[in-house]
Amino acid sequence: MEEVDEVVEENAEFLEESDEDGGVTAQSVLQDIENAWLNEKFAPEILPHQSDAVECMLQQISHMEDNMKSLGKGSMKSLIHQMEINRIRFIISSYLRCRLEKIEQYAMHILTEEAQRGREDGYLSSDELRFAKDYLSSIELLFRTLALQHMPNVLQKFEIETMTVKPNIHAHVFLRANKRITGIIVPGTVDEEVDFEEGSQHIVQYSAVADLVKNGDIQLI
Amino acid sequence: MDPNEVEFLGEKQLVSIVPNFNFDMIHLISGSIGPFRAGLPVKIPIWLAINLKQQHKCRIIGQEWMDVEDLKNIKEEEKKSKVFTKMPSNHYMDEVHMLLGAASDDIPNADEIRTAVKDIWDIRMSKLRTSINAFLKSEGTHAKLDHLTAMEINNVRPLLPHALDQMVRLQQIGQASATADSREESQNMSSI
Amino acid sequence: MSLCSSYKPNYFSIDDILATEERLSCKVLQKVPRLGFMDHSSESKDLKPGTKLELSFWLAYSMNKSKDPIASIDIPKYYKESYREILNADACAIELSKWNTYFYEFGLHVAKFDHPDCEKLPELLLKTFKSRFRLVMDWAQNQDTNPMIASQLPMLERTIFLSGRKSKEQLVYWFKIGGGGIKTTELIANHKKRKRSTFIENER
Repeated sequence: MEEVDEVVEENAEFLEESDEDGGVTAQSVLQDIENAWLNEKFAPEILPHQSDAVECMLQQISHMEDNMKSLGKGSMKSLIHQMEINRIRFIISSYLRCRLEKIEQYAMHILTEEAQRGREDGYLSSDELRFAKDYLSSIELLFRTLALQHMPNVLQKFEIETMTVKPNIHAHVFLRANKRITGIIVPGTVDEEVDFEEGSQHIVQYSAVADLVKNGDIQLI
Repeated sequence: MDPNEVEFLGEKQLVSIVPNFNFDMIHLISGSIGPFRAGLPVKIPIWLAINLKQQHKCRIIGQEWMDVEDLKNIKEEEKKSKVFTKMPSNHYMDEVHMLLGAASDDIPNADEIRTAVKDIWDIRMSKLRTSINAFLKSEGTHAKLDHLTAMEINNVRPLLPHALDQMVRLQQIGQASATADSREESQNMSSI
Repeated sequence: MSLCSSYKPNYFSIDDILATEERLSCKVLQKVPRLGFMDHSSESKDLKPGTKLELSFWLAYSMNKSKDPIASIDIPKYYKESYREILNADACAIELSKWNTYFYEFGLHVAKFDHPDCEKLPELLLKTFKSRFRLVMDWAQNQDTNPMIASQLPMLERTIFLSGRKSKEQLVYWFKIGGGGIKTTELIANHKKRKRSTFIENER
């Protein structure tokens, strides 16, 4: 009976040891993933991936499930753990699905941007990168086979410049400030400079706060 | 985001229950809960509370703020105030909906609570519509929304953000068209 | 829950393609050989100067672009001064889709012409949109509104109205039925079991 809880505590210790900051728990990783899920849902562009957190959580779930087998299927404890696992799974799937959708919609744009970042700073995980490339070449093949090859030579070129679909970074988002932030420039007919108090909520153009979302100072809601 | 997802987030909130069984602490990934002692109140997440209630394993006490008098006071405050007042919970609407849906027999004055909360919701929604109108008439493209709860914000999504997006787009293109450069511009006409 | 982004025309945007199909009155200024077929009333092989034609925006724009244009254009009447007065008086009372379904989008394209009437056009579009938004929002938030009313709105407003209405319907449904939560479909549940074992395999 105690095994499952031991596993969770072991994993928690494992996290604490392996992270330089210390004090990282399974609970905080879960919260990070939830925050990442919300940010990804509401941000118009694709955000830096959280694969480390996702992998860590999937491992936790996996160990938990393995150990639950010994508990017996009907036991209340295993049912409760299973419910929680389902909830976590939902968040992770929704998060990954949201990212895949963005990759499909903005494939060309995302790959161009990724190419300009170093491998370390890439926004896509290696699996996502592979998916994006495969997807784009499939689309190119489709266009070519279906339409382009039948057109006069002059029009056959796959014009990357004009065909790239870009996300609307001026889209408006709802957000909450996690700490006091000063000097945010809100674009408009006249650019305005505003400060956000800790805990305050706002609606503003995403472009004004993109960096702050990526570094965690702002949470999209 | 749809209401189910807002509710999903709301389900994480803790609520007091009284179990009718005994059990040790359970260490969930999202935190530890328990121990469960029959007859003694304990706080657990709403998603679990509702499940246990459905299995007849507990009685739900409800949140401290689910009190008819308190809610009536909140309603009066909201009516008087021009801005949005702080609600007892960021998920007051969905918590009431879930808890009263599952345990209206456990929570006293369930119907009155429901009515009071619905009234508060209506007052706030009407206030929101008026402020949106005022906001749009002004030149601003940024607004403060303190004390608005998750479900309320979701109610104006995507209507408000999309309308604002279009206004920004109309404005930007208007400014671009005013300059001579755009005349000579691209052969691709659909690149707005 | 899929990505829900507001309208932003791109290369593939069908609405934008349709908006550029909208027609304008044009007058041919130069003789254009072998395009006589475009004028149905004339027998000639060539397009004669002085001919009046209705052309789609994309063609009219190309013909008007250079310093020595092939054709001159006439701004559609609903973007002109007299109609502007009507809009300023009460924009909400007008059934804009009757003037043009692509009122806003087409207007933005038309604003690109080098024509005195075009200077104030974007400003007019913005002002009209702002004053009509209240109408759109009220219609969307009110459950009793007949959804067919959407056809009275131009495309840009219609999209916003329909998305607002859909979110309202979801909320009303949620109020009535109550959560019920998010459930895994059977298809995914079985699929997941396979995938998880592959994941664990790869891990090792």
